Amino acid sequence: MLNKSMWYSILTIACVGFIVLSIGFYQSIIVTTSANPQPATKAEVPQTIPASTKLPSKNANSFKVLILGDSVAKGTGDEKNKGFSGYLQENLKNSTPKDIVVDNAGVDGLESIGLLQQLQSRKLDKTISDSDFILVSIGGNDIRSILTMNDLAKEDQFKVRMDSYLANLKLTMKTIRTTNPKAIIIFLGLYNPYETASSVEDTRLLNTWNYNSQLLIEQDGKAIFIPTHDLLKFNLARYISKDGLHPNSAGYQAISNRISKSVEAIITGS
Amino acid sequence: MPQPAILELTNLKKTIKGKEIVKGVNLTLYPSQIFGFLGPNGAGKTTTIRMIVGLIKPTEGSVTICGYSVAHDFVKALSNIGCIIESPDMYKYLTGMGNLLQFAAMDKTISQQRIKDVVEMVGLQHRVNDKVSTFSLGMRQRLGIAQAILSKPKLLILDEPTNGLDPAGITEFRNLIRKLAYEEGMAVFVSSHLLLEIQQMCDSVSIIKQGSVIKTANVQDILHDDRIEWQLDNPEKAIALLREHWNIEAVQLKKNTISSDINEHPLDKINECFIREGLALTYCSTKQNTLEDLFLDLTEGDEIV
Amino acid sequence: MKLFSLIENEVIKMISKKRLMFVLAILIVLISVFAYGQNQSQARTRAQLSQRMGISATTDWRKLADQQLIDLKNRLDSPYSDEKSKASTRVRMEQLQYNVDQNINPLEQSSAKFTTTFMEQAIFLFLPLLIIMLSADMVSGEYSSGTIKLLVVRNVPRWKILLSKYLTLVVLEVVVVFFAFVLAAIISGFFFGFGGWLAPVATGFKVIAGKLDTTGVLNVPQWRYSLMVYSLAFFVAFVVGSISFMISVLVKSTAASIGIIMSTLVAGNFISFFLADWKITRYMFMVNLRLTDYLSGSFQPVEGMNMIFSITVLLGWAIASIIISFVYFTKQDIMV
Repeated sequence: MLNKSMWYSILTIACVGFIVLSIGFYQSIIVTTSANPQPATKAEVPQTIPASTKLPSKNANSFKVLILGDSVAKGTGDEKNKGFSGYLQENLKNSTPKDIVVDNAGVDGLESIGLLQQLQSRKLDKTISDSDFILVSIGGNDIRSILTMNDLAKEDQFKVRMDSYLANLKLTMKTIRTTNPKAIIIFLGLYNPYETASSVEDTRLLNTWNYNSQLLIEQDGKAIFIPTHDLLKFNLARYISKDGLHPNSAGYQAISNRISKSVEAIITGS
Repeated sequence: MPQPAILELTNLKKTIKGKEIVKGVNLTLYPSQIFGFLGPNGAGKTTTIRMIVGLIKPTEGSVTICGYSVAHDFVKALSNIGCIIESPDMYKYLTGMGNLLQFAAMDKTISQQRIKDVVEMVGLQHRVNDKVSTFSLGMRQRLGIAQAILSKPKLLILDEPTNGLDPAGITEFRNLIRKLAYEEGMAVFVSSHLLLEIQQMCDSVSIIKQGSVIKTANVQDILHDDRIEWQLDNPEKAIALLREHWNIEAVQLKKNTISSDINEHPLDKINECFIREGLALTYCSTKQNTLEDLFLDLTEGDEIV
Repeated sequence: MKLFSLIENEVIKMISKKRLMFVLAILIVLISVFAYGQNQSQARTRAQLSQRMGISATTDWRKLADQQLIDLKNRLDSPYSDEKSKASTRVRMEQLQYNVDQNINPLEQSSAKFTTTFMEQAIFLFLPLLIIMLSADMVSGEYSSGTIKLLVVRNVPRWKILLSKYLTLVVLEVVVVFFAFVLAAIISGFFFGFGGWLAPVATGFKVIAGKLDTTGVLNVPQWRYSLMVYSLAFFVAFVVGSISFMISVLVKSTAASIGIIMSTLVAGNFISFFLADWKITRYMFMVNLRLTDYLSGSFQPVEGMNMIFSITVLLGWAIASIIISFVYFTKQDIMV
């Protein structure tokens, strides 16, 4: 009878299926609860700080700059391989007899959460507390993926992403300040490397992002927000490197000039 | 009877929502007995039947089937039962045979041959492989009976079993029940409103009213009691005479008619007496007692409680 | 043994009612619609992207992937990155490496991906709905059609009859989950190709002290991940099935029992939003249905909720439902 054969096939599927699914179930519990199943495959991280551009000497005769953040902080895209580390040092040299010592902890692709985790790992505490200036470039990687979404999702995702980023930024500022109450924090605004392909909507979103960053940063009396959007808007061809994303040598120099102009007075004063 | 009782109800009581529906029913049934259960609407018939088959739990009292208690030995007790309760609701989306196979699967003692035999017994051989949704009421009733007797039960419980059967069907049914009772020794418990049917089919009856059994009797004995009807000019005088001389109670029916059970008393002497006393006797006839008379008498047109 | 024949009876009934076929038909239709829809929206997004950023952005994913690999490697090697992010970095690198090695564009949908995400999305509402269609009238249907009388007045104890129905439900739950997997894999295969089963998928997210912890993150092949997702789906089906079975026993009307369980499920979505602060909310079964979110790490960590917690809560509900069903069914007077 037709029903009989159906019954047997159902029974078989049920028995086999039950066993298979039970195995899967057990596995999913293991995966989400037990201790680290995977050992670290890379060697342990060395605890020392790599050499900076000049011999570090913590005395009243040196000016310490710490650069934190993403690939822009790091200096990626500069065909002369100098980035902020190089140009800032050159600029600031002229304003003070002291030595300028620059530490760079920039990480390619870093997002705001990554920066926060980096600081919370406490590995940079010493460097932070020794610094006089702290330059921060972060947020570009947070915002980038939103630009590729279609319009319907964009607005919602933007709000979500931005709120998350601002929360991270707030905690980041707090962490830095707790470690070093005196340093001047310089925060770089975002520019738009896709300026030519961007809609009015995208520009509005970028400006909103920058504006909210500025509001947050300047709640701190010793922090300053340095915009870069206006500087690069009509200068993409001049200031953007071949990868179409990062500044090139001229770009880094231009931004560095802006930075040093803003903080000159502080340096000469000290 | 020397045989063991098939069904025993002992002081069966049921209270539902504060109202006592069944107030202590006692009953015993023996093999080959066809027993009728009568009562007006709301008397507690269906409730009693439900307690017998374990659908409802009694508030007090016990039901014993072939010596097994329904409350404590459910499986053994129910192995001896086949029943139809009100309309036999079958799985409409299965065929007649599909339904029977379902029930057969629940009881290992039922063989394929038995199913075939039963189908023939109820006369459904030609339609049993059609979906029950296409069955007429009569066919569904037959299927219900088939399912009830599949396991060759010792006790057959039927609640309104002839509903929907045509006269030929009713006669067939009656014969089938008789056969099952007398040839196969089944005890049959029938509850029905069709008094004539009960009268023709049953050996003994119980009449239940407001939760209590008010009379239990053999059908033969009931029918034996003949009633006599007289039409005379002075009914009151006739009633007084009957009482005085023979101690017979008579009732006045219509204007000039009285009626009475005279049992063994000689009718000719009574009539002689009436005429001698000056009564004008215009009509005298026997009227056989029917169950209906007894029933209406006893229940006196109750409102449904 | 008799229980086996009883289960066979129930399965035959379910097949004859055409209920199982109906559920499978719904699966087929919906999966086809979803796969088709995804296919269309993918094509649309690709067109949009090409228009915005030049065709290179979409087809030349390799460059981007290579760039990302370099970025990640630097991050890994950097002395400033901490242990926590190392694991996720490594995992991400493995995934990108796989794409590069196998020449698979990461934006592309695959049959394996679709099968997995389909169930991840279906697990908390759509799957329960399918199960409810099977379970809601298992008992209440017998009452409304009156067949309960003939079912129960047999030489079989009532609890065994109920057990046969319950086990039938479990059998059907396995069948539905099995077919959901098979149908999703096959139908989406026609749209997206039949591959993607070996691609690495990140899992191993844990909840520690109410926060998402990524230190144990690792990659598993897509087929294994899919298996885990579907077994969690079966567990959810089992729990929802038990609860709606209980409701079917207590409420003797099929329509009412469907109404009750469905509104509870839908309310679940509102509750996790509006009543997120209540301690009690965590113990409601509806808010714990998204077990697959624990696997993929895409959940909002709520105080005290993790995989073990959710599974325990759900299991508790299932056991309570079973006990209530059996006690009620065996004790009650059947007046139908």
